Amino acid sequence: MPAKKRTVRIGNWYKSDDEKVHFIRKRKAPRPSKLRKIVPGQVLILLSGRFQGKRVVFLKQLKSGLLLVTGPFKINGVPLKRVNSAYVIPTSTKVDVTGVNATQIDDDYFKRTQAQRRKNEQGFWAKRGELTAEQQATEKTRLEGKRNTQKSVDAALITAIKKTQLLKQYLGARFTIGKTTRPHELVF
Amino acid sequence: MVLTKFVEVGRVVKINYGPQEGRLATIVEILNDKRVLIDGPTTGVQRQVIPIRRLTLTKFNLKGATRGARTGVITKAIKKSDPFAQYAQTLAAKKVAKKALRAKLNDFDRFRVMILRKRRSALLSTQLKTLKKSTGGKAQTQAKGGNKKK
Repeated sequence: MPAKKRTVRIGNWYKSDDEKVHFIRKRKAPRPSKLRKIVPGQVLILLSGRFQGKRVVFLKQLKSGLLLVTGPFKINGVPLKRVNSAYVIPTSTKVDVTGVNATQIDDDYFKRTQAQRRKNEQGFWAKRGELTAEQQATEKTRLEGKRNTQKSVDAALITAIKKTQLLKQYLGARFTIGKTTRPHELVF
Repeated sequence: MVLTKFVEVGRVVKINYGPQEGRLATIVEILNDKRVLIDGPTTGVQRQVIPIRRLTLTKFNLKGATRGARTGVITKAIKKSDPFAQYAQTLAAKKVAKKALRAKLNDFDRFRVMILRKRRSALLSTQLKTLKKSTGGKAQTQAKGGNKKK
């Protein structure tokens, strides 16, 4: 019996120009990345961005796969923040987060509002803050709300942190590498 | 200089090369000028022939070890007088232990050690200052240990 020949289907016509097909994402919804053994309450070291080297407390993984993290704000100035788990070093230090309520916070909390987008689209040279009075008022209340959420989430955390000696100072300090540190030999 | 550490039956040795690096054992039999038979039932060293080149001699001896003694005899002798515990008291052994401990420190531990060292040096400097004052600048600096950790 003759072996089945493998044939390649050629279309009815060839395209005249070399069309460049842009990268089409096959998967529309974001898939939450698998957490590599990071537990709520664990202290993480941020590796990139404005808060490089800061030690923060991990709260939960959001639906988008990003990690929700907080300084706490009073201790090291890091607010409630989303962080990519690839840019994070998990340490073995854990804080007790049983009293912390972060269930209200999800990806929508971090969505940019109309007013913010308007501010941004003015461009670098334009006068910032060109918002109507009404927008300014809503912005004010929005920021107030954010401050309150930050406070309420951090309150329970800070009381838990204060129980361990030097933990507060630890979270307030940045992680640095000196001349003699060998990162590949460090145990986190 | 008088030689004090001999390759002899009962000599406690430290293996410094190979898969058992860092472990202690006793010499049980001398085979020739280059190889010995060692055994370390309490330190996890299997009874084996090993070149002397891979060993460092310590100043301790296992009392009661006879030539070619079997592992059981060695274990009994160790139970009576444990030279390995004595070795652990030496400065060299303590340094090795300290290094191993430091390698295990996690990020928070390293931070704590740093803070404590700073506090200790602050204590030392205040002590030094008071000593200098009291003896008019010609102080014999005897550093007073502060909170020593690790």
